[in-house]
Amino acid sequence: MSDVVWKKDVSDVNDGILVGLRAPHPSFYLALSVSVFCLIIGAVAWGYQIAVGTGVAGLNSPVYWGVYITDFVFWVGIGHAGTLISAILFLFRAKWRNSINRSAEAMTVFAVITAGLFPLIHVGRVWYAAYWMLPLPNTNNLWVNFRSPLMWDVFAISTYLTVSLLFWYMGLVPDLASMRDRVKGFKRLLFGFMSFGWVGTVRQWHHYEAGYGFLAALATPLVLSVHSIVSWDFAMSMQPGWHTTIFPPYFVAGAILSGCAMVYTLVLPLRHMFRMEGFILDEHLEALIKLTLLTSTIVAYAYAVEFLIAWYSGNPYEWKIFVKRAVGDYSFYFWTMVFCNCVFPIAFWSKRIRNSKFWCFVICVLVNVGMWFERYNIIISSLVEDFVPGSWGHYEPSIVEMAITLGSFGWFFTWLLIFCRFFPLVSMSELKLIMPKPLNPTKRKA
Amino acid sequence: MSDHSQTSQKTKGILALYKYLDDTCGAMDSIEKNLSEFKGYQVYSPTSYHELIDRAEVKYGPSQVRWFTLVGALSGIAIGFAMPLLMDYDWPIVVGGKTAGIYSLPAYVIFGFELMVLLGAIATIAGMLIMGRIPNPHAHIFHDKLTDDTFGIFVPGVNKESRQAKLLQEHGAIDLIETA
Repeated sequence: MSDVVWKKDVSDVNDGILVGLRAPHPSFYLALSVSVFCLIIGAVAWGYQIAVGTGVAGLNSPVYWGVYITDFVFWVGIGHAGTLISAILFLFRAKWRNSINRSAEAMTVFAVITAGLFPLIHVGRVWYAAYWMLPLPNTNNLWVNFRSPLMWDVFAISTYLTVSLLFWYMGLVPDLASMRDRVKGFKRLLFGFMSFGWVGTVRQWHHYEAGYGFLAALATPLVLSVHSIVSWDFAMSMQPGWHTTIFPPYFVAGAILSGCAMVYTLVLPLRHMFRMEGFILDEHLEALIKLTLLTSTIVAYAYAVEFLIAWYSGNPYEWKIFVKRAVGDYSFYFWTMVFCNCVFPIAFWSKRIRNSKFWCFVICVLVNVGMWFERYNIIISSLVEDFVPGSWGHYEPSIVEMAITLGSFGWFFTWLLIFCRFFPLVSMSELKLIMPKPLNPTKRKA
Repeated sequence: MSDHSQTSQKTKGILALYKYLDDTCGAMDSIEKNLSEFKGYQVYSPTSYHELIDRAEVKYGPSQVRWFTLVGALSGIAIGFAMPLLMDYDWPIVVGGKTAGIYSLPAYVIFGFELMVLLGAIATIAGMLIMGRIPNPHAHIFHDKLTDDTFGIFVPGVNKESRQAKLLQEHGAIDLIETA
């Protein structure tokens, strides 16, 4: 990133970013309308499922984990890039993350909230969900089973959401103070309250920087652990196709791939809507694409190793599942996953493609599609055929499940767009750190 | 003395505004050499430039936020192991012939780890807030540009004609304001 040429300086940051908030491009309102429409479809479908019962979903023996758990794993995965960019890249001092970390963190928070809806949707009687998901004794005074990966997951996801929220909000505090200092009246009072009375003394920055570093250090193992624990939801069972030790790193790599692709998918249009081209530079987007390429390569390697392990294990059930994934009833999902996640991103090796926003956007959308199909492929193809041929079955998602999935995208994008409408999409205080420092030109000449 | 007069005593003085980071650092270095004349001075910055943070490290010492993090994280580990063990003690659930309690410790590492991160993060935030003296509903905002692109040095209890004001101006202050 050393060759980045800034056309703006530190004095332009607050003006440029906050002016963009006042009057977003009309496409913002179109995007918000579409999101709200999708959200309404999903809400109606969920309401219908609650009223009629979970029978309206396509779940039946032997597949009790269908699209809802696919969606859950997909959205948790999407959240990973946010923490990777805000925490891990912070520790590695990757400067380019400063222009996109805010949008990536917002994406994480809303993606994990979206993911958290799916266990509630999946259990059907949502009003009993607390007894199944929290460490509360049931009506027989029995505690939850702490050796169950599902309980591990509850702790992992809730910790992840809380830490991501704290990280995101603490990053916002200096920017909220900047917003407070530009407005009058009630808005000033509101932003003053939200920024805790931050005034930017060096003493405050000193403790802020120390705390931010510790938060990043705590969040870094969290990035790796959360999707590892999600993968144990599968790998700790005896189901063929699931019971493998490669699952944790494979899931983490996949999560980061989908997250990076989603950040690009979001940042590119948002940059246009809020006129941030001068702050989120093409070089920053290219760095994100390089990270997507790296994780795509790791994911491709994981797919290959998974097949190798299935063959080398000598377990006929395991091997049969993998063969059927490639050539059986669900092969469409498998090959969609392979092409979207491993083949299309190969184009990113070309600098010309990396610098073409159109092709990068298209490929990143395809990666998101591919990552959804990856989860669908893992869950469905293993569940339809286990060790007992008599219990084999078939699964197709129902219209209600698909409507709720669409609604989850609407829910996610609605919150994200509302956030971007009222709060700076780029962290102003952190962006100033990667721009040329305001040094006295007369002293520099001397 | 009323609250208002106490507050005004703290905020009465001079505020020197700087456009450049190196000018601000130069002024800070001079102030540190004449510290007795600049009692209670504060430096304001729009962001966390390392040049300023390094000087703050010398002035205030290493940040104490680390102790908050450590205590939070250790409490998290303790609670993360204690919670499932105590619940096992209350009513052991034997699933698949696996004995509950101390023999299931490997499974409880997850809770120890997750709560370490969770309470460590919450304690870190608490440390950042407490050590940074926020939330502060009475925070005095001397100048709106201090959170934008301007640095500031506030010296309480002096006026524009003072020796302190001259020193601040010598280091390239673009403006000098008497605050009430």
